[in-house]
Amino acid sequence: MSVSTVSAHLRELTPEQQGEELLPVLPALSGLLPGGGLRRGSVVAVERPGLLCLMLAAGASAAGSWCAVVGMPQLGVLAAVDAGVDVSRLLLVPDPGSRWPQVAAALLEGCELVLLRPPARPSAQVARRLAAHARRGGGALVVVGGVAAFEGANLWLRAACPQWIGIGTGHGRLRGRRVQVVAGGRGSGARPRAQWWWLPGPDGAVAIAEQTGAEPAAVEPAGAGLAGAGLAGAGLAAAGLAAAEPIVPDLATADRVVRAEGTELVAIGQG
Amino acid sequence: MDVARGVPSRVLVVWCPDWPVVVAGAGPEAPAVVVAANLVVACSAAARAAGVRRGQRLRDAQRHCPVLIAAPRDINAEARAFEPVVATVEEFCPRVEVVRPGMCAIGARGPARYFGGERALMQKITEAVTGRGITCRTGIADGMFAAQLAARTGGDGVVVPTGGARRFLAPHPTGLLEHQELANLLAQLGIHTLGDFAVLPAQDVLARFGDVGAIAHRLARGLEPRPLAPRPPSADLSAEMEFDPPALQAEPVVFAGKALADRLLGNLAERGLSCARVEVEVSFTGGRTYSRLWRHDGLLSSLAMAERVRWQLDGWRTAGGHSPQPGDGRRPVGGPPADDADNDGSRRGITVLRLIPDQIVPDEGTQLGLWGEALVSNRVARAATRVQSMLGHGAVTRPVLAGGRGPGDQVMLVPFGDSRTPRLPADRPWPGRIPAPSPSTVYPVPLPASVTCASGEPVTVNGRAGISAPPARLAIDGGPLREIIAWAGPWPVHEQWWDPAQARRLARFQLVTSDGDAWLAVVEGGRWMIEATYD
Repeated sequence: MSVSTVSAHLRELTPEQQGEELLPVLPALSGLLPGGGLRRGSVVAVERPGLLCLMLAAGASAAGSWCAVVGMPQLGVLAAVDAGVDVSRLLLVPDPGSRWPQVAAALLEGCELVLLRPPARPSAQVARRLAAHARRGGGALVVVGGVAAFEGANLWLRAACPQWIGIGTGHGRLRGRRVQVVAGGRGSGARPRAQWWWLPGPDGAVAIAEQTGAEPAAVEPAGAGLAGAGLAGAGLAAAGLAAAEPIVPDLATADRVVRAEGTELVAIGQG
Repeated sequence: MDVARGVPSRVLVVWCPDWPVVVAGAGPEAPAVVVAANLVVACSAAARAAGVRRGQRLRDAQRHCPVLIAAPRDINAEARAFEPVVATVEEFCPRVEVVRPGMCAIGARGPARYFGGERALMQKITEAVTGRGITCRTGIADGMFAAQLAARTGGDGVVVPTGGARRFLAPHPTGLLEHQELANLLAQLGIHTLGDFAVLPAQDVLARFGDVGAIAHRLARGLEPRPLAPRPPSADLSAEMEFDPPALQAEPVVFAGKALADRLLGNLAERGLSCARVEVEVSFTGGRTYSRLWRHDGLLSSLAMAERVRWQLDGWRTAGGHSPQPGDGRRPVGGPPADDADNDGSRRGITVLRLIPDQIVPDEGTQLGLWGEALVSNRVARAATRVQSMLGHGAVTRPVLAGGRGPGDQVMLVPFGDSRTPRLPADRPWPGRIPAPSPSTVYPVPLPASVTCASGEPVTVNGRAGISAPPARLAIDGGPLREIIAWAGPWPVHEQWWDPAQARRLARFQLVTSDGDAWLAVVEGGRWMIEATYD
């Protein structure tokens, strides 16, 4: 997504999103986040490095904030640019070594959004201290690598059931990916919510995937198991659940999702 | 210096011709050029004889001289290599001003009296520098501008007599004013020499050409470019920092230098002043103090000052062999410490770093571009500098988009505070570049992988970009086998085939495995590697 389109999206942000409390996010994300934006001083955990955490940074970056990325030497800068991150306001600390808590704390003083991939699982004390730094600096800390890895995260996000389109066996190329993004957390964000997204879409932009009707013509089912899970997601939507509603899966869906995702989502389904 | 009337003092300039070429290691007989941004910034005598000129594009230069050797510019190496020259000149006068790597200047009045006249001083300095195996030229005149020109014109040095700068400058072309726009404008008005320009009334020049024109006009008249502040400021505007325990590494000193430079500029700004030169003074354990003056074209920023501190410390570390022995007692100020000459044998630590402003001028302000580069806010710069002071200068980087085909080629990481343009520009067509979407994880070192077909044989790609069998399974770095459910490729790339050292021949694939992950794989020389992940 080019910066101009992001700017265009940002102009459509509601006034409370632009307020002091919230960092702006891409419009697609606002439905998943409590309050419709990234609360300043909050800690967000993202399960895996990838486009999802870059997207979290994109809205704030396009709106003029500085972003720092700590401990991710393999960050794809081009993907970040495509997601809408302004590369002229991006700091990278690829290898913070053993002093990563201090590095992240120092960057939280200056940047409004810090993406951190801790080299080791942080102790509870370090996690508390970083959360305090985030609150004091008024920025947001996005911790990558395992939802459970960071205690005290206000919000967690994960992407599940990826389905690639545009690529076949020996022909085509990767064009877009439909993915189910699940969000949960504490307090106002405690109810797990899920949405199907284009991450990225066939036009390069991140958008909420339409859920009614058939799959887009270009879609080639990415595999039997995944296709099953994907169709289950589509069925969910067809059953009339709004995108940002908590998942109330029927048992069959839960079973399928669990197969693709492991045990954690079972808890979500039951909660 | 007759400050009130702006008549400059006597200045001796030592100029090493074609310094970037000398540093690049080419002799004067070899036709060599140093290029930056594809433009020739310096050329050797042989290249010049063949018709190569500064400012030419590399291709034009090669048209004049097909056997040309081109080297990229390395300004840090130039500064380091210039250190022995500065050290040599410092034996004649401790306060040496480095105009830029390749040119330095001293005040000539005192040393000329001591060494028996200006011409004798020039000869002695030339001999001393030449004795180090470095070609140099010298010139003496009133003021820096005329002295630089004097060094450039003479075979073995020109002494422009006191008060004769204006007459000396008169026949030279206006192009020397190093302001191309103004020189072009003057040429259109029929003013081709500095003499023609100097006879214009100063008020009219200021009215017509503005600030830039007024400064150029003063230069052409043989005056200092800007009127100096009438008297040295009474307050101590310098900034210093003590290191306890003494700093053994250069990096912490450089970062302290950044903070000191901020404080120094703050001090000056409070009084509405600005400085054109800065003296960097470093004290070492044992009480020895060394200093150096740096000039910056235009006004110094704090980052530029810190950069000079780094150059200075780098230069001293590498130039240990060239420095005089500490025991010779000739110079209390001004030379590099020699590590191997340390008496107690222990490593020398830095105890004090002091930045002293020199040539204080009233701050007339600078106009920032209305549109243009994103400025780094103080808050961000402070945070980044703090991390740099923890991890080193290169640890905090800003990405710059560059040209290239592979996912890793298209980004260059530049240390925070440096500015660098990518070697390959991004805004060119790069046929064969991997298509959008870009992978969000790009491995700095590609992961070894194995791709096998349904029967378990490794998949190979032949010279005509045909594959031996459809890929069916992927194992990354000895990990578990993953089933490939979709794939695309091969996309052959044959890069830089004209240069055997850089040539690469490879084929890329996109692979989607049954767990929903997508990979960018590359096969080169029969070996599979995973370059990136789409996640």
